[in-house]
Amino acid sequence: MSTAKPAAGTAAHSVVEPSATSKRVAATLVILYAVITMVPLAWIFLTSIKSPPDSISYPPKLLFTPSLEGYCNLFTTRTRQTPEYIAALPPPENTCDAVTRERNMVIAGPSNFLPRFVNSLIIAFGSTFLAVGLGTLAAYGFSRFKVPLADDLLFFILSTRMMPPIAVAIPIFLMYRELGLSDTAIGMMLLYTAVNVSLAVWLLKGFIDEIPREYEEAAMIDGYTRLQAFRKVVLPQATTGIAATAIFCLIFAWNEYAFASLLTSGSAQTAPPFIPTIIGEGGQDWPAVAAGTTIFLVPILVFTILLRKQLLRGITFGAVRK
Amino acid sequence: MSDRTLIIPKKRRPFFLRRGPMEALAVLLIALGFLMLFQPFWLVLYTYSFVTLLAGTAMFTVVSKFPE
Amino acid sequence: MNSSHQTFAEKASRLATEAAVRATPEPLAKRVRGFSDRAIAWLFIAPTIALLLAINIFPLFWAIYLSFTNYRANRPNAEVRNIGLSNYSRILNDPDIWASMQTTAHFVFWTILLQTVIGFGLAYLIDRKFRGHAFWTTLILIPMMLSPAVVGNFWRFLYEPQIGLFAYAVSFLTGIPTSDIQMLGSVQLAPWAIVIVDTWMWTPYVMLICLAGLRSIPDYIYEAAEVDRASPWRQFWSITVPMALPFIMLAVLFRGIENFKMFDMVNLLTGGGPGSTTEVASIALKRDAFEAWATGRSSAFAIVLFVAVFGLANIYVKALNRVKQR
Repeated sequence: MSTAKPAAGTAAHSVVEPSATSKRVAATLVILYAVITMVPLAWIFLTSIKSPPDSISYPPKLLFTPSLEGYCNLFTTRTRQTPEYIAALPPPENTCDAVTRERNMVIAGPSNFLPRFVNSLIIAFGSTFLAVGLGTLAAYGFSRFKVPLADDLLFFILSTRMMPPIAVAIPIFLMYRELGLSDTAIGMMLLYTAVNVSLAVWLLKGFIDEIPREYEEAAMIDGYTRLQAFRKVVLPQATTGIAATAIFCLIFAWNEYAFASLLTSGSAQTAPPFIPTIIGEGGQDWPAVAAGTTIFLVPILVFTILLRKQLLRGITFGAVRK
Repeated sequence: MSDRTLIIPKKRRPFFLRRGPMEALAVLLIALGFLMLFQPFWLVLYTYSFVTLLAGTAMFTVVSKFPE
Repeated sequence: MNSSHQTFAEKASRLATEAAVRATPEPLAKRVRGFSDRAIAWLFIAPTIALLLAINIFPLFWAIYLSFTNYRANRPNAEVRNIGLSNYSRILNDPDIWASMQTTAHFVFWTILLQTVIGFGLAYLIDRKFRGHAFWTTLILIPMMLSPAVVGNFWRFLYEPQIGLFAYAVSFLTGIPTSDIQMLGSVQLAPWAIVIVDTWMWTPYVMLICLAGLRSIPDYIYEAAEVDRASPWRQFWSITVPMALPFIMLAVLFRGIENFKMFDMVNLLTGGGPGSTTEVASIALKRDAFEAWATGRSSAFAIVLFVAVFGLANIYVKALNRVKQR
């Protein structure tokens, strides 16, 4: 990339290598866009470490004393008390106690955020595990064998992902009500698995297609059965692909909102429908919402950076490889 | 089948039995269905948009089985 | 990729010698060997198909059945009557639902237009390969991986007229008083509030696919054009755009499908309001199905949306295959 071709003949610059000026202009515009696009995300983080009065001041504050109040409020429920009552209490055990008492309140107990977050973890990881497991098997089947109507089956599998979630939710809601799966982690896991398996099959089929058949055939000639060849030859080769697919499935299940908001209400509710409902006294508690949002987004940020090389492949269902 | 059509162009299947043109037609029908669904002018067009979309989609599914 | 293949080739030869050394295969392996390839194919594919049949197809057929009845989910014991096509005729003659389709069309049109123009522009600039472009590209990509619901919810804060950063920035740049920038409360601005968030979130998606398109254009075509002394403008319109077009189509179709069924962001930002100015099809459907509990009628509505998306999905897969052949 860095090897600039020497200019040949009358051409002032190589066609392939853009001129220095055009590079500088391009860099300026792209960096400008990147900075603007990061502002909302930076604001989420800044709001999460502001105190509630700072968060709603006008004009918006860039310089402020950081406060842990948002995070404290996110994880706790509080009750208002008289100053005399608070003065009579033993000294605060931790920062959150102290921060809360400054507002004339005491911590009454844990909030629902942690259980909702754990639900998100269980459902996202469970469904990812199932989807990738099923997807790997199916992708191998489609990749290596002549399956009758393979194109139609693959299209059918893909089209299930395209369906509008609200339209799917109506019959699923009725079905889960009959089966007792409403508001259960198992029900949500099955649903997300069904949605994710389509992506998993399409992506993994591409990855497995890239592993030459000759390897398995060689192994089978040497006495391996088809299943052994699959386990010992294909799976190790497909590890990168399986990992990338798993992260895509995880991100979908982690971010999903429509099904979660319609089909869960209590014990199986995940974080996305919960975070918007975090309220304090007199409306939305924005530092707490921002704190919840920050905690919720950090894993995805990490995954996005890990996944950047595979991103294109994931979002085009494996059609664009590089 | 496709080999023969390559060798003897005169025996090419008529266009309504070939995949390419018929798929294009189905895509056109689906696009028309969306226009009818989205346009704000005549209610009657909206009413018949569903039938158009259904026809286009069904047609696409069928003609994608045709050989080129 | 190549290096891993080579290490694998070594491994394969090692495996081969190991297998040759082994005297007889164990009896279990012999029985497993009994599976024909065809049996294995079905064994591997069947669980996926079974799951999709149970969670996607069975409910779909149930919805089709319900769409011909007057069933109401909040009255499970009431008598269910078959009322033929009247649900469909109600849905397809209802001016409110027709209006929700136009609202959807407005979103689909503007988000796709903005995302394609900005996304392609960014891809074109990144393709100049300035130093550090990989880093900035990764940064730009971040919004599209985030949860539209959780981030969309936070945009409500940014849009607050008195305290929000967005109103402050706009007022700082234009001089309009912040109290006039009611992004979510005003009938004129609310649809644009959603278009802005969607564009912020999904422009990177279009950009990434366009970038792949631009990089798929072989250098020799530009070199040939240079030999013919075609102007850069001419090169752009007769090489760059047509060659990247299949990729742009792919991005446009997928964003079209996604925004046609847009729900998360609208539900959290405006909930369909003020009034019904941002009531897109998915929101109208949710209100009908889960607030009015008109299950039969909303099933018919759902089927209408299904068919529309299914049609688009057909075209999308065709576009996918076209790009794959490149």
